[in-house]
Amino acid sequence: MNKTFTQKAVTPLVLSLVLALSACSSTPVTTSTLDQARSDYTAAQNGSVAQYAPNEFKAATEALNAANTAASNREDLTKIDQLASLAKTKIATAQEVARTKQAEASLKGATQEREQVRLQARTAEAEAARRNAEQAQRDAEAAKAQAEQASAATRDAQAQASALAAQLAELKAKQTERGMVVTLGDVLFNTDQAVLTSAGTATVQKLANILRDNPDRTVLVEGFTDSTGSTAHNLELSQRRAESVRAALAQMGIERNRVETRGYGEAYPVAGNNTAGDRQLNRRVEIVLSEAGKPIQARR
Amino acid sequence: MSPRLTLPAVAATVVSALLLSACASQKAPATADVAVSQAAVENAAQAGAAELAPAELTSAREKFARANQALKERDYKLASELATQAQAEAKLAQSKATSAKATSAADAVQENIRVLREELDRANSANK
Repeated sequence: MNKTFTQKAVTPLVLSLVLALSACSSTPVTTSTLDQARSDYTAAQNGSVAQYAPNEFKAATEALNAANTAASNREDLTKIDQLASLAKTKIATAQEVARTKQAEASLKGATQEREQVRLQARTAEAEAARRNAEQAQRDAEAAKAQAEQASAATRDAQAQASALAAQLAELKAKQTERGMVVTLGDVLFNTDQAVLTSAGTATVQKLANILRDNPDRTVLVEGFTDSTGSTAHNLELSQRRAESVRAALAQMGIERNRVETRGYGEAYPVAGNNTAGDRQLNRRVEIVLSEAGKPIQARR
Repeated sequence: MSPRLTLPAVAATVVSALLLSACASQKAPATADVAVSQAAVENAAQAGAAELAPAELTSAREKFARANQALKERDYKLASELATQAQAEAKLAQSKATSAKATSAADAVQENIRVLREELDRANSANK
């Protein structure tokens, strides 16, 4: 070969090559796919992809490096695109793998959490059941106590009723439509006097006991005489005898407002006035005991 | 042909023979690449990529078909390239399907917990 020819021919060729190269280097070779792959890679790098999918991320890094090398070597654009596309696919794969690992980690944590919540739910259920059982127990106890109270009250009432019946029987009380009536005969008073004899006081004491034991009852004390003597005197005597009974009751601790008095004199005889025996029957004091909590009906 | 064998002629024959054998030796890797990409596509399909990553799976299948075609046409370089792409895309399709399943499983459990917590709160406030 001729050296001179070569030098002459080569100089413009080299010049144009240098120009072409400098033109290329001022605009670096890249493609939109490569740009995209680079930005995907940066995004993956900033996330936790490298941590969760190290192998896939390494493969993606190598693929992107290959594409970058092809670009800096100014290889064919189609070749660069191909490598960039491969890198993109591998970056996306790494991201999916990382996503899977994250989901699996979250699933593991969530499963534990679910067990905890379930345990809490069971504890709460047991607690509620316990509380309900306790409440039921308390309710049952309260009901039992109430029933006992009620039966005790019934027993008390029955005891009181039978005690009253016994006391009234002792006083020879008679049941009338106005209530139980106790009759004090005139032998309990001094003749033509309103002062109670000791036997009369003893009888009134029994009545006082009844009134003390049955605070919801009141009495009406009614005085009667025979037809001997003036009507006015008899009325006055019968009233005094009734008052005498009230005074005796008051002395025995019975409030005066629970005792009403009425003198009827010779009215309402229970027998004739012809014989001494009948007249004695008419000389009497009747004591009407009210029903519990009710007023006494007036004599008709 | 000249009956006289010159040194350059011998050298050329040897070189071309070497080149041919080099070309022939490329046949094996390309076949292997295509086989690997086929396995990757099948794995992706089994992982549910047809429903969960249809675009990726379709692209992988299409690349695999083209790789196969190139292999038949003895364009081993193209076959290898397409097989590599098909394999990468199949892997992406599979990863996408797997992550979709894992994510929905995690979401389901989270939802489960939320409902459970709600019930618990209701039960607790009802018992108070």
